[in-house]
Amino acid sequence: MTPAFARPRRIATLLPALLVVLAGCRGPGGCTTEYCGTVVFAATGEPSTLLPVVSTSAVERDVHDQIFLKLAEIGPDGGTFGDSGFVPELARSWEWTDPLTLTFHLDPRARWHDGAPVTAADVAFTFDAYSDSVVGSGDRASLGHITSVAAVDSLTVVFKFRDRYPEMFYDATYHMRILPAHLLRNVPRATWQTAAFGRAPVGSGPYRFVSWTPGQSIELAADSTHFLGRPHLRRLIWRVAGNLNSAVTMVLAGEADAVEVLVTPDNIRRARADTALRLYPYAGSTYTFVRFNLRANGDRSKPHPVFADPEIRRALVLAADRPRMAQTVFGEYAKVPPGPMPQLWSWLWKTTLAPTPLDSAQAARLLHGRRLSFHLIVPSTSPTRVQYAQLLQEQYRRLGIDVVIDQVDNPTLQQQLESGKFDASLESFVTDPTPSSSVPALWGRDGPQNYGHYANDKFDALVRTAAGAPTRGAAQAAWESAFAALAQDPPGVMLYALDNVAAVNRRVADVRIQPDSWWGLVRTWRIPPDQLTERDRAGR
Amino acid sequence: MRAWLLRRVAAGIAIIFAAVSLTFVAIHLAPGEPFLPPDERPMDPAVVARLRRNYGLDRPLPVQYLRYVTQLAHGELGESFSQRRPVAQAIAAAVPNTLLLTITALAIDFTLGIAIGLYQAARARRRSDAALANVTLFFYSLPTFWLALVLQLVFGLWLGWFPTGGSTDPVLHDSLPLFGRVVDRLYHLALPALTLGLVGAGGTARFQRAALLEALGHEYVRTARAKGLAESAVLIRHAWRDALLPVISLAGVALPFLLTGAVLIETVFSWPGLGKLAADAISARDYPLVLGTTLLATCAVVTGSFIADVLTAAADPRVRLTA
Repeated sequence: MTPAFARPRRIATLLPALLVVLAGCRGPGGCTTEYCGTVVFAATGEPSTLLPVVSTSAVERDVHDQIFLKLAEIGPDGGTFGDSGFVPELARSWEWTDPLTLTFHLDPRARWHDGAPVTAADVAFTFDAYSDSVVGSGDRASLGHITSVAAVDSLTVVFKFRDRYPEMFYDATYHMRILPAHLLRNVPRATWQTAAFGRAPVGSGPYRFVSWTPGQSIELAADSTHFLGRPHLRRLIWRVAGNLNSAVTMVLAGEADAVEVLVTPDNIRRARADTALRLYPYAGSTYTFVRFNLRANGDRSKPHPVFADPEIRRALVLAADRPRMAQTVFGEYAKVPPGPMPQLWSWLWKTTLAPTPLDSAQAARLLHGRRLSFHLIVPSTSPTRVQYAQLLQEQYRRLGIDVVIDQVDNPTLQQQLESGKFDASLESFVTDPTPSSSVPALWGRDGPQNYGHYANDKFDALVRTAAGAPTRGAAQAAWESAFAALAQDPPGVMLYALDNVAAVNRRVADVRIQPDSWWGLVRTWRIPPDQLTERDRAGR
Repeated sequence: MRAWLLRRVAAGIAIIFAAVSLTFVAIHLAPGEPFLPPDERPMDPAVVARLRRNYGLDRPLPVQYLRYVTQLAHGELGESFSQRRPVAQAIAAAVPNTLLLTITALAIDFTLGIAIGLYQAARARRRSDAALANVTLFFYSLPTFWLALVLQLVFGLWLGWFPTGGSTDPVLHDSLPLFGRVVDRLYHLALPALTLGLVGAGGTARFQRAALLEALGHEYVRTARAKGLAESAVLIRHAWRDALLPVISLAGVALPFLLTGAVLIETVFSWPGLGKLAADAISARDYPLVLGTTLLATCAVVTGSFIADVLTAAADPRVRLTA
């Protein structure tokens, strides 16, 4: 049902209309073709840099995914095994010279936005940069299987691998956005984190950088001669909203056209009630969990008095009514995962795995009447996670477990995790399209983000088997075994995996959302000429 | 006069120095560190260590403090960790927005507040005075951020009369002629300035009413009335001038409130000013930017208080600027 206030909002737009008229008085305007649209995205934060190799946040990825290209992109089926399904981007074709050698042939039409051709030397330079510890890319570890990348001629580049495994092609193409060697070669790599290039990047993607007004907006313009085809939308603008609520408000007020995640059922309900918006559900790449610290709070040399005991950890999983909590907080938009997995890994949800069911009686038996107490750190900026912490606190209280909730801001939470000064933490994690990298990173004995110092040799061995499985079927079975091992000796409580829902203005057609890179397919979006507004026509 | 001036300047420098020093210690001792992105892919610890080294964060706190003070003495504010550009540049971009917001809010605050105070004093103890007293008390006691959210919801989201955030229209602004750009600016300014102005006006009106009622009881007002002057002339030309002095002092005191209010307002309305810059800097543990914004805010408050003193002296010949 349309809310009562929706109609006056649409009518009472005299001043904006005046602005449009004024804009029409001056700018080129008059654009009436298929290639005129302007889409404004409400961004929940502001990028620090648009240099992909050192960027870390989702909003940075959203923007630089339009400016830079990979050699090939994951196809619509999201498959990461072998090279079937991958869609060519900078590479026109590829072949396996031998089982450990992959040769890419670049598209000769590809150009940097300054006019220089994209060459094999750029690809070799990019690999070198991503692998360089001085640059410090977050993707460096994912490229560990590749021994070298060398240019054979200006359009041919050869990747050599250390070993054979099913996701070789994925590793060669997914992690790196190809960078312009001629613009970055002379910039000292130790300064890339703060390089000027990151504030005014030059790429080879369908959109070129136009402007960045700090604290306000970032504007990109379509490359009308792009070799992969002219993008339909003429301008893309990211408007910095600062947080999720402001971003959703901007979209509901008609000041922005799209927001990539609505997160809460309330936001989804409000967006659904707005007739100007269309909702696009897609598989989420995030899962949320309580992590137990198996070492003493602040002293890694000692076991944790509570969580070192696997029986207690199991009891805490059994005592949490996760389906009810998910229903209470998210309604139909979240599932309880049977392991550390987001909904993005849809093929893993098809296994026979099921989340450990609620069993308070068994939990009580495992606790043997012990009275426990621990602190749970939660990011204060996430109302849903705070709500979850309170629900858990109440459920554990009934078993005589005292949970003290410490709401902290994100930098504090990260610092506590890295320094080991915590008992338990309520976290979310954004994953890659494959479990092979993020599962061992978080829960493997040597994982860089294994802040709870969880160690399970059986699980680690099963993860290695799963990551090396030759087919998706074999991988599915192996991951199933790995997650079953994890359920027996839980490192935490896997709480929920979200279904993402994006809201986009109805005048935008052909909207496709790539679950692992939300706005990755914007170049295929369009605004039909009969749907163009004066705002679309106005502009540079 | 000169001695007073020197004393005020010395006190001002001391206050600024103390504020920056306290902020330096507080922000460095606060839990949390820069370069640790939340929830997304955490940075390589080696890179974090290198960045900490590059920015001197691996040195003992007193060394960092001395380095910062020396740098400050040379006019250097350092480089922002989160914005990856010089702090001076980030502040320079934000200051015009905050000035525009606070000056407009101040204008709304005092125009509306003084007008209401005058009206109330002229109709003291009547029904309209009582009603306005309740209204001004209501606005005076409102939390600024709450009023901001309500105005945003009603006039931005429900009625669609004003934008809910930002300082310009990112789609149209650059293609507008000068007049259009000014209109666009004012259009985006309306809600944030009104929020700050309304809350301030509630207090100013109550202050003005009390000062006027006091002034109206003075002998010279009775004399003016006895001379047969019209009541409006008595009120405006005689009593009001006297009652304006405490309100002028209030302007100097209002500046810190406006600046702190701007932090909340700018955050709610995504207004890219100094307040939002400071709030974002604190969230990101961007030490140089936090210190830079603190420095500027302290300077503004000290200057505001100084200007208020000078204005009071100008308006009241009885006040002398002496040490």
